Amino acid sequence: MPKYTTEQGTLQNVVCPKTGKIVGFKFGVRLPRYRGNMLSLINGYYVNVDGVEYPQDAMRFEINGKPPRTWAEIKQAVWEHWDYLDTGWLFIEKEGGLAKGKHTVLATCCNYEQYGYKPATDQARVDNVEIPSVGGAGHTSAALPLEMEIQ
Amino acid sequence: MATIKRGVSSYSYQNVIFDRKMGYRDFIRTIREDLNTDGVELIDETFINHYPFITDEFVYDWRNTIARYNMKSVTMDVYLDVLQFRDHVMTFEEGAERLKRDLHIAARLGFENVRCLRPIPAEIIDMCVDTAEKEGVRLGQEIHSPVQIRYDPEKDWNKARGNLVDERLVEHMLQRAEKSPFVGLVPDMGLFHTGVTPALVAAARRTIQNDDCVDYILENRNKLPWQDLKRLVAEKFPTIDTDAQITLSLIRPQASAKPEELMDIMHIILSIHGKFYEMVEDPTKPGGYYDPSIPYDEIMKILLEGGYDGYINSEFEGQGHTNDLPDDQMFDELEQVRRQHKMLVALGAV
Repeated sequence: MPKYTTEQGTLQNVVCPKTGKIVGFKFGVRLPRYRGNMLSLINGYYVNVDGVEYPQDAMRFEINGKPPRTWAEIKQAVWEHWDYLDTGWLFIEKEGGLAKGKHTVLATCCNYEQYGYKPATDQARVDNVEIPSVGGAGHTSAALPLEMEIQ
Repeated sequence: MATIKRGVSSYSYQNVIFDRKMGYRDFIRTIREDLNTDGVELIDETFINHYPFITDEFVYDWRNTIARYNMKSVTMDVYLDVLQFRDHVMTFEEGAERLKRDLHIAARLGFENVRCLRPIPAEIIDMCVDTAEKEGVRLGQEIHSPVQIRYDPEKDWNKARGNLVDERLVEHMLQRAEKSPFVGLVPDMGLFHTGVTPALVAAARRTIQNDDCVDYILENRNKLPWQDLKRLVAEKFPTIDTDAQITLSLIRPQASAKPEELMDIMHIILSIHGKFYEMVEDPTKPGGYYDPSIPYDEIMKILLEGGYDGYINSEFEGQGHTNDLPDDQMFDELEQVRRQHKMLVALGAV
């Protein structure tokens, strides 16, 4: 797994174009493996910024030139590929965004990419909603936190 | 005359590729210019954008780049993500459709072989042999530790690892190969992994933070079965997590076969994964290199004796042992592959 899968220099607040207010923040992430995979396999991200964990329904994921999507929408992207070298963007809803200055960002991918069949977990992953954890899932192990700055 | 040829899998350069410093054209050119050889092995989803809907532009540019540098597309490595559809586990019939598509993509790109993973069920392989013949691409199943060449149920770890693996994979492939020249095996040299590399030991010392424990494992790992050693380590060092990946890597050799067993399958080897973890200078041969964890001298002797006529494609996998270090202390993947090729030539590859 690559050392950092969160992209340095990408952290920024997000402004709503209609109201002009800061509605959250976003940063870029890369696939934490050595190959791309179908987008539907991304079950979510564990996100922790400065010790604060963010819930799955506060996140949207932007990739492939499409508007940011919920994890439920990403799950349906069964014929859409996350190309290996592409950056995906995690949007996190947070009124007022993050303060200017340095932040410690940890984002661990919950990716159902795997080598063939795993009878002990396959059906459970279809039947149950797995909440992404700090340790990752399958081949995706814990990511390293990255200190990033909002200018 | 049978010759052992050299190539490289894109897996070897995964950090450089991740950092966007090596695209597929650079990858192909590097094999020619850095190693003076022609074998190319591709991890499909590393470089094929929009997979499985490969574009004509990519097909033409891949073939053009291969032609430009006088290269050979030897093996394409393909996967099986069985949870793709999310509302059900991929059926074997659906898995076969993916593998057939992969064979078709490989044919368009000009590959001689497709390597599928070891946990691909026999039923799926059986459903794809006709397509391999039709596409003119040989279908090779990987034999990767802990799969054995000579099956011994006492030593079968696959079930413990939770993968659905055909335990008689080698036997079944030998039977299929009697009927079709378009099936075979792609053995991974991690099958013969018995030793440790300096980078692994250093990584273990950094992670375990207990030199007495690391020294104890190193002193005993060749004297005891790994299960016994694991139990003893847990008893002597109760604070150490013996199931942690790095601790297990140190305690448990990956080997699930012996080099001489390659003779059983020599005639159906399509290509070889030249797995390695670290090339270090050989104190007995100035200017020479070896991997202390995998006995390439024995392996190459058997391959030469057996008349193996095909490619060994480098698969460098040591990155994980230095990825926690500052950038300038991480492995230089290009240099590691250069050293392995120097060794392969010294041991008889062309």
